[in-house]
Amino acid sequence: MPAFLLSMMAMIAIISLSSFNEAQEIPDADTLDIEEVILDTDPESALMEEETPEEAITDTDIAFTRGEYTSRQIRLGERLFSGLVPFSSGQHDCASCHYLQPQQDVNWNPAAYEMAVLWNQNPDYSIMNIMNNPVSVRLMEDHAGMTITHEEQHLLEAWYTKILEQGPGDLEAYPIRAFIFWGLGALMLLALVDLIITRKIKFKGIHILVLLVGIAVHGQFAMAEAQSLGRTKGYAPDQPIKFSHLIHAGENDIDCRYCHYIADYSLSAGIPSNNVCMNCHNVVRSGTLSGSFEINKIHSAAETGEPIEWIRVHNLPDHSFFSHAQHVNAGKQECSDCHGEVETMHIVQQVEDLSMGWCLTCHRDENVDFLDNPYFGIYEKLHEKIRNGEIDAVTAADLGGEDCMSCHY
Amino acid sequence: MEKKYWQSIEETRADFKPEAEEKETSMMEVLANEANDKSSSRRDFLKWCGISFFSATVISACENPVKKAIPYLHQPETLTPGKASWYASSLVDGNQFCSVLVKSRDGRPIKIEGNDLCKFTGGGTNAITQASVLSLYDDGARYKYPTKNGEKINWEAADREIKKALQEAGEKGKKCYLVTPTLLSSSATELITFLKAKYPALEFVSWDTVSYEAIRQAHNQTFNIPAIPDYHFDKAELIVSFSADFLATWLAPVSFANRYAKTRKLSDTKKTMSQHIHFEAGMSVTGSNADERIAVKPSTELEIIMELYNEMASLTGNPVFSSPATDFDTKTLAREILSKKGKAIIVCGHNNEEAQILINAINHMAESYGNTLDNAQPLNFGLDSKEAMDKMIENMEGGNTELVMFYKTNPLYNHPKADKIKEAMANVPISVSFATAKDETAKECTYILPDNHYLESWGEAMPKLGTYTLMQPVMQPIFNTRQFQSSLLAWMDMDTDYHAYIKTFAERTLFPKQNEYSDFQQFWLNTLQAGVFVTDETLNFNINLSQVAISDAIARLKNKTSTAGDIQFMTHQNVAVADGAYANNPWLQELPDPVTKITWDNFAAISPKFADENRLKDGDIISINGLEIPVAAQPGQAYGCISIALGYGREYAGKVGDHTGVNAFRLLNDKAFPWNVQSWEKTGSGYEFARSQTHHSMEGRHIVRESTLDKYKENSKAGNEIRDYHLKHMVTLYPGHKYEGHHWALMVDLNACTGCSTCVIACQAENNTPVVGKDEVRRRRIMHWMRIDRYYTGDAENPGVVYQPLMCQHCDNAPCENVCPVSATNHSHEGINQMAYNRCVGTKYCINNCPYKVRRFNWFQYAKNDKFDYHMNSDLGRMILNPDVTVRERGVVEKCSFCIQRIQEGKLKAKNERRKLKDGDITPACAGSCPSNALVFGDLNDPDSRVAKLVKDPRNYHLLEELHTLPTVGYLTKIRNKKG
Repeated sequence: MPAFLLSMMAMIAIISLSSFNEAQEIPDADTLDIEEVILDTDPESALMEEETPEEAITDTDIAFTRGEYTSRQIRLGERLFSGLVPFSSGQHDCASCHYLQPQQDVNWNPAAYEMAVLWNQNPDYSIMNIMNNPVSVRLMEDHAGMTITHEEQHLLEAWYTKILEQGPGDLEAYPIRAFIFWGLGALMLLALVDLIITRKIKFKGIHILVLLVGIAVHGQFAMAEAQSLGRTKGYAPDQPIKFSHLIHAGENDIDCRYCHYIADYSLSAGIPSNNVCMNCHNVVRSGTLSGSFEINKIHSAAETGEPIEWIRVHNLPDHSFFSHAQHVNAGKQECSDCHGEVETMHIVQQVEDLSMGWCLTCHRDENVDFLDNPYFGIYEKLHEKIRNGEIDAVTAADLGGEDCMSCHY
Repeated sequence: MEKKYWQSIEETRADFKPEAEEKETSMMEVLANEANDKSSSRRDFLKWCGISFFSATVISACENPVKKAIPYLHQPETLTPGKASWYASSLVDGNQFCSVLVKSRDGRPIKIEGNDLCKFTGGGTNAITQASVLSLYDDGARYKYPTKNGEKINWEAADREIKKALQEAGEKGKKCYLVTPTLLSSSATELITFLKAKYPALEFVSWDTVSYEAIRQAHNQTFNIPAIPDYHFDKAELIVSFSADFLATWLAPVSFANRYAKTRKLSDTKKTMSQHIHFEAGMSVTGSNADERIAVKPSTELEIIMELYNEMASLTGNPVFSSPATDFDTKTLAREILSKKGKAIIVCGHNNEEAQILINAINHMAESYGNTLDNAQPLNFGLDSKEAMDKMIENMEGGNTELVMFYKTNPLYNHPKADKIKEAMANVPISVSFATAKDETAKECTYILPDNHYLESWGEAMPKLGTYTLMQPVMQPIFNTRQFQSSLLAWMDMDTDYHAYIKTFAERTLFPKQNEYSDFQQFWLNTLQAGVFVTDETLNFNINLSQVAISDAIARLKNKTSTAGDIQFMTHQNVAVADGAYANNPWLQELPDPVTKITWDNFAAISPKFADENRLKDGDIISINGLEIPVAAQPGQAYGCISIALGYGREYAGKVGDHTGVNAFRLLNDKAFPWNVQSWEKTGSGYEFARSQTHHSMEGRHIVRESTLDKYKENSKAGNEIRDYHLKHMVTLYPGHKYEGHHWALMVDLNACTGCSTCVIACQAENNTPVVGKDEVRRRRIMHWMRIDRYYTGDAENPGVVYQPLMCQHCDNAPCENVCPVSATNHSHEGINQMAYNRCVGTKYCINNCPYKVRRFNWFQYAKNDKFDYHMNSDLGRMILNPDVTVRERGVVEKCSFCIQRIQEGKLKAKNERRKLKDGDITPACAGSCPSNALVFGDLNDPDSRVAKLVKDPRNYHLLEELHTLPTVGYLTKIRNKKG
């Protein structure tokens, strides 16, 4: 009994902590200063105020120098970006297409942070140039009819400095069902209070029902949470490059093993190196969804020598050894057997839970290429059984696929 | 009144106080004390248990860490992540040589194997070779950039200043010296010659700490050719060795062990083996393998050599000279040698020119030259000159030296006149060390221009005439180091790319010696891939014995032995640290000495009789000629002689090697008879050795089964008769296992195993076994998965020695399996006793129930723990870890897995190539490293495999068969070639 209580306590702690984490993930709302907005009743006038001393400079086309921004300019830049202050050309704001930080869901347009990074790295980067004289087709289409002034560029740059300070933001935690958990918890508490102290509801069966269902659901939560500790089914982190498997493997029908070519003979399937990307992207400079912004990252990696730091999606639990060559080449498994329909995903998601139970199910159920591969000739008795019609096929488990040391060593 | 029982006489006394009142120390407390010296109660323990469990759950409930996958920008064509690449190279370090294959995973070398294509080494390795890869990652001791007076300097500035010094020395009429050990590399020697031509002031001194100069000089005296013949033990029927530890340390031990084992192995078709007679003072690996071992003091040994010469000379009608008489029956030995003319081999390990001259004469009379001694393609070792070194020291003292440079030499540690050299260095304005890692000489040098580790270097070596091996880098230099040869090139204002140089060198010298390839590039790539290139060039070695040399030698030797005292000492190298160059390698420090099983120390071996007479017990510290060292009574040690291993007691080697053991180089001297103990005394203090084996008796059980050749010839089951009894009385309740596919087994030929302990290091390197340190070894917590048990038989003054490699026996009826409460250890479909670390809860029931004591418990977390400051607590040190094997956590049991990762890899390769698994496709680390091929691994279900045949050999037996554990590891009885 104490052990049970302890584990329950632990589970509650787990769940509360996970939900606490989630709470922290909400983007910082303080970046918008509401009061300031309300005070500046007339956005135009605010802008004018700002412009007054520098008007002459703007007109004589002398560039605003980088690196000198007042806190006011930063604030104004932010408002320009988010649409609280309109652009002089009357175009719509940036935030309706561009996120502030890279997000979990698909947005093919670069986030403000990513653009800020690029601006920061490249002294020749000019927002005005991109907006007013777009070079790529995609940019021309998306920014058609939009122009910005030197002064607006300066404000946006000011806002970039702030974004850079804030960083790319944290990656989202795995979703949990905290609401049901806490809701039921409160209901159970109410039921208990009513059952012992207030006694408003006369029919005791309701209390008992609430408590029983609550305990059952909480128990199920605890079990599920405990089992999924370290498991990340559904994990689909945002990647440094908005690479779409749907476009590459789906629409363009590129074979998995064109890029992940070492899966055939190595333990690892291999994250393609930059030069594999360059095989095509030497020529393909602009994509259908994200234009050249994302593809440029490959080129800039090649130029700077900084490798691209992808986020690993499929993480096998510790202490287990898995060989792609064993499964793909010898075992003749399809990539999709474990990774799901990757060709339908913009962002790759972990489809299976990669648990030991899941591994073993396959080892027990799937047939091995037994008769065709001469390697299995040593299993004479099994061959005899097949000849005698005792068995039809052989699974990995029949060949020792359930042995601990098949995977753990 | 109640009746009172007493357990001892003391209890009956009136003033008796029961001892039980004293506080008892529980196991838990011992552990707690070890951790933080505070005692804690059971309640506290439970409290902490609860808290740590709770907090651990809370912490683990936090978000999973985001793991990154960073691919190459440009993936090298030859490199596949997750797959090993292999490169052929050579370990060359003075007289140390081994042709090797280097396993590289994801760009970092992690394991060394022998190169099967090298006929000279026979594909084996030794412990030092196996451990050499760890030194690459020694970030604590390796020099990371060039320095001048301890301050960072760039290469260009250093080159400029040294070139200037070399130039000016000539103008000032002063000398410059370059000290190297024996250089097996012709290209390096050539470079030095060029450098000498450019800077005439430069002199080249070759100096080895453990020298073979006498053998070379003796051949010069007797045959007028300064050469060392190659010793073909495989062709010998009679081997007579005088202190030559040729299976472990002498000249080319890997090659010799391989050849020796060929004559020692027996089978139904080959029932002959060589006879090995060994004279020595201390119990060496080679001596312990001899059929007949004669324990004698060094002076007596030299007298026996003289007498043996005389006996043989009188039998063959050669001139006889007067020599002191000995107790040993040299007449019979002489007759035996002469009866095996052309099939005998006589070797002597003393670096004593006179003795070597007599040995040459004996070999000449035994007609060994051209038969067992290969004089057409002699060895290239021992090119040093003591005379040149002495002259250099003199010159340095005289202040006539401008510059002195040390390459792979550390005279300030291991020269007998180290103090004198240190003083003399004060008179030398500029000194340069090319040391790869910390050493005592580099510490005193003006410039340290660190050389690459050999796995980062290009090179070439000729260990023997006609055998060339190449050395290629397996990785880019980790630190800002530069290869020694590149430094020489820089000082000649040439291109510093030694790769380019060695390529043109090969084109000039090696390419014309073959006619297989017409294109040099093709030749180069193929040779580089094979690592070895063999030609049939020979030396014109005329064997005309010079009698003058012999008469002279006997006269001089007689003079020398006449000054011998009653008590003598003998120094030797051991299989681990050799001359001390490898002292900072934790694997080697923890490798138990093959005979005494002492780790982390050297010691003064004394004979049990001497110990009794002087009331000395193990660990008592004595002072010998002023050197304080603990003693260990060694069965088989010659009475009146004290043996001490060299290579310990380093003062500036790094965290592992510093002050480990005692520096016995201090005992060496230039006297006519250098091994006299002038004075010795007990100091009164004591020391506790860290031994890996503390019990030496088989307790009357048939653990090692032994017989003699004569009995074996009569009955192949000789020594193994009891097996029939056990087989007859086998009864079992268990249904037994069915192995439908593979059934892995390992056979150990006790006749081939020399106890050299290479396999122990190979296993450690392959399986990420931690180093635990001296203190933990004392607590019997050494982690080696594989050990070599050593047992003595017979008389304590000169016992027989047997070695038995012991790893998990993978019993079919494994006692460990059915006591595990969580089924963490169980049986696989292929006969392997598996161990699932992530299931183990650490009850240690399996350890207690294992009759072979092969299971190890992780008492601590050894990785990333600064209390185990060896190599697993630094990022660079952990690079050595094999990514295919789990690094075990604290609290789990581990043991030999038959290198399951290699089995899985081998099976997968066969599956992917759609072919049957061939015998030899899978080799565990131990079997792969063995120079004498004593271990054979394979599939019992494959009737053509070597193990399937060996298991049927009448010599095969299993350990503790009476327990009916049914091991799959089998041993072949030890057969000795002696009378009776």
